Amino acid sequence: MAGDRMVAVLAAATMALAACSSPEGDEGEQTPDADAGPPRGGTLVAAIDSDPGTLNPAITTSGGARTASELLFNGLVGLTSDLEPVPELAESWEVLEAGALYRFDLRDGVTWHDGEPFTSADVIFTFEEMLLSLHARTKASVGAALESIEAPDEDTVEFRFTEPYAPLLLQLDVTEAPILPRHVYEGTDVMTNPANTDPVGTGPFRLESYTPDAELRFSANPDYFEPDLPYLDEVVMRIIPERGNQVVALEAGEVDWLFGVPGPDLARLEESGDYGFLETAVNPGGSNCIMTVSFNLERPMFADVALRRALATALDREQFVERVLFGQGRVAEAPISSGIPFAHAPDLEEMPQFERDEAESLLDEAGWPRDGDGVRTARGVDGVPDGTPLQFGFTHFPSFSAYAELLRAQLREVGAEVKLVPLEPPVFADTVFKARDFDTNIISYCNGADPEIGVKRMYTTANIGPVPFSNAAAYSNPTVDAYFDEARTTVDPEARSDIYRRLQEQLVEDLPYFWIVETESVRAYYARCEGFGPAGHFATTAHCSS
Amino acid sequence: MNRRYLVRRLAQLPLTVAAILLAGFLLIHLAPGDPVVALAGQSGDAEYYAYLRAKFGLDKPLPTQLVIYAGNVLSGDLGTSYVLGRPVAEAIAERLPATVLLTGSALVLSTVVGISLGIYGARRHGRWPDTAVNLTALTVYAAPVFLIGQLVILGLALGAGWFPVEGMTDARSSVTGLPRLLDIAHHLALPALALTSQEVAAVARLSRVGLLDELRQDHIRTARAKGVAEGVVVRKHALRRALLPVVTVLGGRVGHLVAGAVIVEAVFGWPGLGRLLVTAMQNRDGPIVLGVFLLVAVTVVVANLLTDLLYSWLDPRVRYG
Repeated sequence: MAGDRMVAVLAAATMALAACSSPEGDEGEQTPDADAGPPRGGTLVAAIDSDPGTLNPAITTSGGARTASELLFNGLVGLTSDLEPVPELAESWEVLEAGALYRFDLRDGVTWHDGEPFTSADVIFTFEEMLLSLHARTKASVGAALESIEAPDEDTVEFRFTEPYAPLLLQLDVTEAPILPRHVYEGTDVMTNPANTDPVGTGPFRLESYTPDAELRFSANPDYFEPDLPYLDEVVMRIIPERGNQVVALEAGEVDWLFGVPGPDLARLEESGDYGFLETAVNPGGSNCIMTVSFNLERPMFADVALRRALATALDREQFVERVLFGQGRVAEAPISSGIPFAHAPDLEEMPQFERDEAESLLDEAGWPRDGDGVRTARGVDGVPDGTPLQFGFTHFPSFSAYAELLRAQLREVGAEVKLVPLEPPVFADTVFKARDFDTNIISYCNGADPEIGVKRMYTTANIGPVPFSNAAAYSNPTVDAYFDEARTTVDPEARSDIYRRLQEQLVEDLPYFWIVETESVRAYYARCEGFGPAGHFATTAHCSS
Repeated sequence: MNRRYLVRRLAQLPLTVAAILLAGFLLIHLAPGDPVVALAGQSGDAEYYAYLRAKFGLDKPLPTQLVIYAGNVLSGDLGTSYVLGRPVAEAIAERLPATVLLTGSALVLSTVVGISLGIYGARRHGRWPDTAVNLTALTVYAAPVFLIGQLVILGLALGAGWFPVEGMTDARSSVTGLPRLLDIAHHLALPALALTSQEVAAVARLSRVGLLDELRQDHIRTARAKGVAEGVVVRKHALRRALLPVVTVLGGRVGHLVAGAVIVEAVFGWPGLGRLLVTAMQNRDGPIVLGVFLLVAVTVVVANLLTDLLYSWLDPRVRYG
């Protein structure tokens, strides 16, 4: 077995833990006094968008539920901002049998908020009864590859896969795999257990009260396993549905922390000098999101890559960053987000870049010459009758109308007529994925911490079907399917990176989608507070001066 | 009012409510959109979606779902929210007090202030205070309630700093007893003001017109000729009948207030039923939507019944048969 050992026991666990719990980090923060440490105590008031409904993050992937509940729980590992796994409920781990077996040594002395000890039985129970059946992402990714999960003793958990499985360590944080108490849930219906609104966790904060649609009050967990954390006595989450009103509440001093600031308000807050900011691609509901245009490849018009490439070349994506995102994001350079550095492939030769004249010639060559100065029409395009105008629908959430308007304006310049079809999210999901009644659309596809989490679903043949937010384009390429299989079972990081580069070269050549911008959120907070993380345990290392 | 009429009206109540519920059920289930999407977020496989549909009974034919739902409602069970995973009655009961407080305050305030303004305007008919009240009432009546909400936030909360911007209590204090009630009243002021504003305008205009009309009647002239003081003429002789049009719209006003509360609650972060309803509609959370429909329908129907009763009390000539 020793020969199979891929990665040694994490010798630097304590160092990593120190790095994880350091309150230092984002730009512009004060360094706490080395002797006295950061100030302790106080209340932080954070604004959140919606009532979470449930505070059990293991049975839903809803962003609202995660924001409100992740302070209460832990994963086996934590993830740094560079997506490095660091110890959390697991103190160390080994990757064995070429990546087909993961063995986790659990932290000693961890207790649940009700005083019961945390053991490997809690991990097994959470995976078997919740995560692998009710947490959509973890079920679809880990669940599909897992052979068994076992606990040889109270302090050890082993995940065995049918074949080597590379991404596991990026799928065990509090977002993808929060651990819940067996003694509270065993023998009950986990969906309706009262603990879903009165939770018991191991996290840095405990729930004091939950007033639906009003606020959640959390107090510091005095028995938290990371010594001296958290610094704050209390976190209050106020539910304020409108982002604009959240900004007003921040300016009025009623809240201290916002998870997002609308672009037009940001400049005003920056000018005032009273606030700190933290830019991040991490969000509780999904991180590393790319606004992506899907072409419905089942429509004859879009079956031709030449048209797709021509339209992509006509889009000035810098304008989307400036006019739609107000600078909160960047042009997408590749199909996989730059927030996943090991998988992101910059400088792809075939990636379309904005060039209006070139777009015009590409459209001519693709069989769509201009009809006078107006809309182009088809001439000799396979499956499209001659004379068909270059007109198509663009389906989008109403909240993405700014993208839609700009895209329509840019494509009109090159002789394409776009009809906007705004649809509420549940209707959008039905129309695009079930009825497949669309020409093109825009979706914020969140890549997550690993391509297995949020990238694969967009491209593999198995993901063509009625499941919302899967393969909208209905793209199928056996080479790409094989690349994903290979990447999943390749544990060596360099080899895996190389597979993802080749995969993206293929995607850019086929262009079933066009990747517009990577979006970011700007967190804003009163400058008297600092030490924040972007999401999840955002307030664990936060502290406020009085 | 005779008893037969009252019994007939009460007997109509369940039929009206049933018709509203049926329409609501069909609307929410026939409208495009899948409640399972809200639960699964961006990811999930077909098996997961099928599991959730089966769990909520959404895999059954619509008539079967309707029969099951009707049976549950008749036995007093409004079902379980798809998204919250909790009984609908519980979710509604948690938020009802906030909405009752908000709409109740607005109803009382708009009635008292509206009638006072109406009297004030009518007694100064044709002079500038009457014109000012009239113009202000018209302007406020024409303004959307969300605009009024934002304006009072900017002016009285963020600008003057007199009132909090959002919520029902102060996030940084956890007082109890009388200080808590005062805290709630402080937070209630702006949302109640925003919700009252439109209603007050309607009531003021109605009561002014009613009073002006009444003051022209013969019996008022007689009272004045007998030397009764003008204040007494208005209060004792004219006002009761002048208020008939105001009472007539009472039932409708309850409906308006609930609709207005949906917007005001969103603007002021007020934790009431309006917020619950909007979120549930976005998520296609049928049981919650229908539960709130039921509550609002019963409230409006009862308010209309009370209006009729009040009407015959105010004007004994009115008889129903």
